[in-house]
Parts: sequence; C-alpha cells; structure tokens
Amino acid sequence: MKREQIGFYFNQSRCIGCYTCTIACKDWHNLELEVNWRIVTTKEQGKFPNLFVTHLSLSCNHCTNPICATVCPNNAITKREEDGIVVVDLNKCLGKDKCGAVCKNVCPYSSPQFGTEENARMQKCDLCLDRWVENKKPICVEACPMRALDAGPLDQLKTKYGNIKKVDGFFYSTKIDPSIIFNPKTPSKEI
Amino acid sequence: MRGRAYRQRVYAPDRLKYPMRRVGARGQAKFEQISWNDALDIVATQLKKVKDRYGSASILYIGYSGNNTCILHTPAVVMRLLNMFGGFTRIWGVASCEGGVFACRATYGTLTTGHWRNDLSNSKLIIMWGWNPAETVWVPNTSLYLAQAKEAGAKIVCVDPRYTNSTATFAHQWIPIRPGTDTAMLVAMAHVIIEENLQDQNFLDRYTLGFDKFKDYVLGVDDGVPKTPDWAETITGVLADTIEKLAREYATTKPAALIASYAPGRTAYGEQYHRAVQVLTAITGNIGLHGGNPAGIGRAPVGKQLGPVMPIGINPNEAKYTYIRERLKRPIPRSGTVHISKVWDAILNGKDGGYPSDIELLYVTHGNPLNQFPNTNKGVKALERLEFVVVHEQFMTATAKYADILLPINTHLARTDIGRPWTSGPYYIFNNKAIDSLGESKSDFEICCELAPRLGIENYSNKTEEEWLKEIFNMSKDLSTDIQDYDEFRRKGVHKIKRSEPAIAFTREIKDPKKYPFPTPSGKIEIYSEQLSNLHKPQIPPIPKYIPPWEGIGDPLTRKYPLQLITPHIGRRAHSIYDNIPLLRNLKPQTVWINSKDASLRGIQNGDLVKVFNDRGEMVIPVNVTERIMPGVVSIPQGAWYRPDEDGVDRGGCANVLTKDRFSPGGAFCSNSSLVEVKRV
Repeated sequence: MKREQIGFYFNQSRCIGCYTCTIACKDWHNLELEVNWRIVTTKEQGKFPNLFVTHLSLSCNHCTNPICATVCPNNAITKREEDGIVVVDLNKCLGKDKCGAVCKNVCPYSSPQFGTEENARMQKCDLCLDRWVENKKPICVEACPMRALDAGPLDQLKTKYGNIKKVDGFFYSTKIDPSIIFNPKTPSKEI
Repeated sequence: MRGRAYRQRVYAPDRLKYPMRRVGARGQAKFEQISWNDALDIVATQLKKVKDRYGSASILYIGYSGNNTCILHTPAVVMRLLNMFGGFTRIWGVASCEGGVFACRATYGTLTTGHWRNDLSNSKLIIMWGWNPAETVWVPNTSLYLAQAKEAGAKIVCVDPRYTNSTATFAHQWIPIRPGTDTAMLVAMAHVIIEENLQDQNFLDRYTLGFDKFKDYVLGVDDGVPKTPDWAETITGVLADTIEKLAREYATTKPAALIASYAPGRTAYGEQYHRAVQVLTAITGNIGLHGGNPAGIGRAPVGKQLGPVMPIGINPNEAKYTYIRERLKRPIPRSGTVHISKVWDAILNGKDGGYPSDIELLYVTHGNPLNQFPNTNKGVKALERLEFVVVHEQFMTATAKYADILLPINTHLARTDIGRPWTSGPYYIFNNKAIDSLGESKSDFEICCELAPRLGIENYSNKTEEEWLKEIFNMSKDLSTDIQDYDEFRRKGVHKIKRSEPAIAFTREIKDPKKYPFPTPSGKIEIYSEQLSNLHKPQIPPIPKYIPPWEGIGDPLTRKYPLQLITPHIGRRAHSIYDNIPLLRNLKPQTVWINSKDASLRGIQNGDLVKVFNDRGEMVIPVNVTERIMPGVVSIPQGAWYRPDEDGVDRGGCANVLTKDRFSPGGAFCSNSSLVEVKRV
C-alpha cells in the first residue's frame, strides 16, 4: 500500500530568477555541465513599459502516473511504493542511443536528462534521496534564498500552501498528475 | 548562487598554481614556470632598481577588493610592505560608490548611514532607486526581506532604466528613467513637496542646515528656472504626473525608505544624485526612524563593513596633490594619489600630464584593473609602456596577461580570517582554513613576508597569521566588544548579534541632537555645506544641483552615438570574478540589451551578433532585444573578460572598452556615462 507522495511546492511570486536552485543541485549531485536536474525559465510578457515577467523553477515532478516509466522499454524507471519518488535503475536503463531517449521525449517537463558520453544512461531529480535519509530537505529547497521552494508529503504541502496545480508557463496534465503545487504570480496592482 | 558554485572555482583547471615569468610580448599570455625563489628575487630586484632610479613614487600600487577577506588578508598587507620599502603612489576612489562617500561626508559627516535590512519590514513605502538586489544580493537575505515587506503590505516602487528581476519580483510600479538624470527627478520631487508645503518643517528646523538655500534653487529664485516636474520630464523622460504622484506619496507616507543604490551615482556628477536623495530624505523627515532611511551608502551602526586592518604605517611620499575626499575631513594620506579612472592616463602621461609622478612599475593585487577600470584600450597602451609589472592572481585575467612576473594566490578557503557583513547585518563570520593551498599558490601575506628580507626590511612581520588575526581583532572596537569569546566564535564559525530591534543610523542624533550633534562642521544635516562652498567650484555646488552630465542627454555627441550605455551587475559574476567558470557562464550568455524600438530602427533581431562601439573601442556581442530596457539605453553587464581579436575588437563583452576614463568632480566613478552606437555585424 502506498503510504504517501512526496512532492514540491513552488512560490512563483517569490522567485527572483537567481538560479541558486539549479547551481546547488548541480553542485550537490556533481552533475556535468550539460546536465540540469532543475531548470529555471523566464517568461516576459507585455510591451514597454507595461511588463509582466515570471520565473519557473522545475525539476522532475514525480508524477502520480509517470509517463516516462510507462514508455521505458526495459522497465528501468519505477515509482517507489513508500514515497512516490520516481527513480531510474542505471543497470536496467538501455541508454539513450539504444532506446532513443523515449522517456525524455514523452516528458512534458524534459526532466529526464542525458550526459554527453556515448549511450548515456538517463538521470534526473531523485528528490535528494540521500538527504531524506538524514531528515533533510532537497538541496534546492535548502539553498533557495527566497524560501520559494519546499518539498515534503504532498498532503502536508497542500494543507500549508493550498492546492493550486497550475501556474503561468506550466503544463498541467490530469492524466499524469505531476506532484507539484504552486503559488502563482499575478501582476502587481498599483496600491 | 556564486557560493554554491565556489567548488568549481577553487578546483578550476585554469587556476594559476605556479609562479611564472613572461616569455612572450605583454598581453600574449605566454609564460614559463619558475621557482618562488627566482620569482621573488626578480620582483625584489625590480622594485629596488625602480626606486633607486626614479624614486618610490614611480611605483604604483593597485590593490582592490577581488580576493579579500575582511581583517587580515587585504591589500593592507602589501601597503605595509611598500611603505616600509619607502612608499608608493596609491589609488583613490571607490568604484562602487565614491559619489556616495562624498555625499555622506558632506551631508552627514559620516559613512555610517545604514539600517539593518530587517528594518525594511517597518516601511510602508519602499522606493528602490536604481537598486537590484535580486542580482547583486547586497547583504544576505535582502531580497527575502523585500518580499516579506511586500507581503506585509508595503508599496514598492522601482526607479530604473531596466525592468530588472528586482522590479519583476517586488515592484508595484516601475518608473524607467534616463541614466544620469536622477538628480533632476529628485529635485523636481522636492519642488512638488515645497510647492504643496508637504515638507517636514519641524525636522528641517531642528536637524538641518540650509534648506532655504536649496529651496531657492528648486523654486528658481537664483537662476530663474523653477525645477518643476515639467522641467524634469524633458530631462528624465519620466512624465511630470508620475513625478508629482511619487513626490506626494513619499512626503505623506511615513515611514518610507528611499533606498538609493550606487548605480545612479556611477555617472557624471553622480555625487549630486547622492546629495539630492539624502536631502529628500531630510525634507520628508525619514532619518533616524525605523522604516525610514537616510539614503546613505548603507553601513549600519552595528556590524560595519570595514576594518581595522593590518597597520600599514606611513607612506613617506608627501601629498603634493590633494583630492576632494581629504577636503571633507578625512585624514590626509601621505602620498601622491591617482583616481582609479585615471591610472592608465597617469601611466601614459606622468608628471607632464599633471600627475604626482612618472609611473615605471605597477604592482597589482586583489583585482583585475585592465578589465574593471574604464577605457580598457587605453589601459593596454599603458601596460605596454611600463618598465615592470607584477601581478598576484588566481586566474589568467586580462591584467595577469600583462604581468612580467605572475604570482599564484590561494583562495580564502586556504586561509584563516574574519568576515564582516556587507554592508551591514547582524553577524560576523570566522573563516576557518578548510583546505591546503593548491599547487604552489600562497597568500599575499606569505608573499610579502618572503619579499621583505629581499628588500632589506627586517620588521615586516614578527607574527603568524593566527597572531595577526588575534591582534587585529583586539584592535577593533566593534568585533572585540560584540564577541566575548574569540575561541567560541572560531569554533562556531559565526557570531550573530542579537538585538530586539534592527540597528539603524542616527537614532541618537535625532533623539538628543544637543548631546549628539551630527559629525558635520555645523553639527546638523548639511543640505547646504560651507565646506563645499569654500571650494569655489561651480561643479561642486554647496547644495545638490542637477548638472547636465557629459555623454548623456543633451551632449552633442549623441548625434554620433545616440545610445546611452549602462554597465550593471549580473548575478552570475561578482564583478569580473567567476566569468571563467563554465557552470555559471552557461546560465546566461553575455549580451547587450536593447529595446525593440531601437533594434528595429537598426534592423537588429534578437540573437544577432552586433557591434557596439564609440571612439574608445568596439566589441562584438550577441544582442538581447527586450522590452525590459527603455528606448535610448543599452546595457552590457560589467565584468565579462576582455578578449580582443587580432583587430583589437573585444569579443569577450568587456564593458570597459566603451567607458570613459573621466571621474566626476566629487570623485564619482562614471561607468554609467558613456554614449555608444549599435550596428548589425
């Protein structure tokens, strides 16, 4: 029986687009230059001088129904029973050249990543499994200078932050149901 | 973010690890590895030769802030050595905020003008004037405190030519303004406040000097030009209506924090901006008040920014040339001085050009002046001219390429020191040595210890690093009283200063002005300064005035170069540091920002390679066509590494190939007063 689902919270109204989450992740997991488990994107809307700019920090969303796992030809991607974290078994992964990186191609968030080496195995955010063991939150959460990220059991996050599943620039699919909730940014009104 | 990337910097494959001697032409970066013994012998021989032949004033020392930690490992260790050797010519001027230093001294008589950042939560209105902490950090957690202030209901206004990430996150209102015209808008705000009688007259009567003289200027009594919002609109590009509303709001919302960032002061007559903004905080009575702000340079009364440092002794070169700072009650440095904007000109022209000496030897530590001081192409000529150049560095920077002897320096991870908050904040950090120095790299202090006997100096240091640190700690007034237990501080690595409320400047002076006068000649906040009046320089007026800047709006040069260049910070670098770290470089390319209107006039599309140029230099750089910068202005983030091609065209995006090497009469560093044109390549 599934006990809980761990997920993320992203407070878009707080995000200053500084990339600290991206860099902390790359440093913690020793990722090579071309690989990003967490990516920050920026969206600019409007015409001078009436503008609206938002940032979005995303990693793997550890979906309820991970489509990457469904398409993997060798069942290398699984969802852990105990916490819903989606993990990849490097021994089973066939490598991007052999299978054509189907997991990456179907993921709406481009979360599966591949290094530059030949037939690179898939890698992605594992919600810092190594840190949960020590009762620590993922490194991106700890590093965010704006406290705009959180992670934990999704039920608890929803109680704390509400249950908003959509935000500007994010594709929400009921089918795969990503485990992330948001505080969306709205244009500041003159007060 | 930069801290999280620091491992990549410490162990970067391009770290300098061995002493080197130049074998190619200067600037070609062709070196051979030599022993420390040989390297230090050569440096000592050259220092002695140059001193004997031309005098000690022909040694120019540039020590900046690149590889400092706060107490021990600072340029003071080199200044001490050079003073004991017989003196040198020194630089003056803080690139960050010399205009602010001038204004703080003139208006308040002190640089201690800051509030702890958690005081922002006490403000009802926050005006961020040219301030972008989302990129610059500017005291840890500043952006978090701004977010919290906004969430608690404070209104936030950003005045900035660019729609920065700070504007995007915090601002309810964005007021784009032409660079170099901030003083005009501030003076027009004063006009609105005076016309509508909204000034805090009690505050002005009790604490300030010379409001009436400023009022006469604002109303146009002196010159027949009332400084109305309409007058300012034509100068600043900000609608008169917008200026009026902001003025009213600022005057009637208390407490309100007008945070005056340094960037608008890095312009021609930038010190007038700092003076004007300070006067506006006085007119509205927002000084010495929680949630207010005196718009100084930001050092809070607890947890100050600097010093003390290793005693540097006396420079025997008498000051023959005075500069503006020393006229404002600063101890006179006993040496010839050259403004940081003028080092290249001083090297090229020497005494004939009116400088204190002919420079023959350049000694550079803690910085990358060729990249970071204005007019890089003139810098190249200057560095080619010198008899000898020695550089302490961690990487092969633009300046390092011009060294004759290049000495490898360790990072703060391999040293022990104490860190202070920048520029205020309730903590001190003990920087415990964490790793051994890489390769053969050493600290500047170790190098000076080994150079001293070679220069015939016996008493440079009779202490270890540890003993010096303890001694300097004990010399300090604040550290040694705030921290009771040095060993515990060292063990914990951090000391947090506990206060029931945020420390802010001028509470005593406001509470009891008789007992605690402001440290100015009059004891008051000097809107009018007798000291400045006595200078008899119309370009350094005794009250703040808008003076049309060179290479700004109205300069005839705009016909040839119609775009104003600003050179802001970018989050992935600290000035020029980290530009070579791929992890950070990959986040954001170095680009020139241009508004879509200016781009379409020139047939430029987003992502094109463009040429940015003026009479001083040119660069080829990718363009970011964006709505986030106002028309008429382009921006190139400062700090990208200078990389000239065979035609001398910069391919690295070094903003200073375009900046003008002229400083403001009050000392301001003018990196945001340059005109350029942009063309498709």
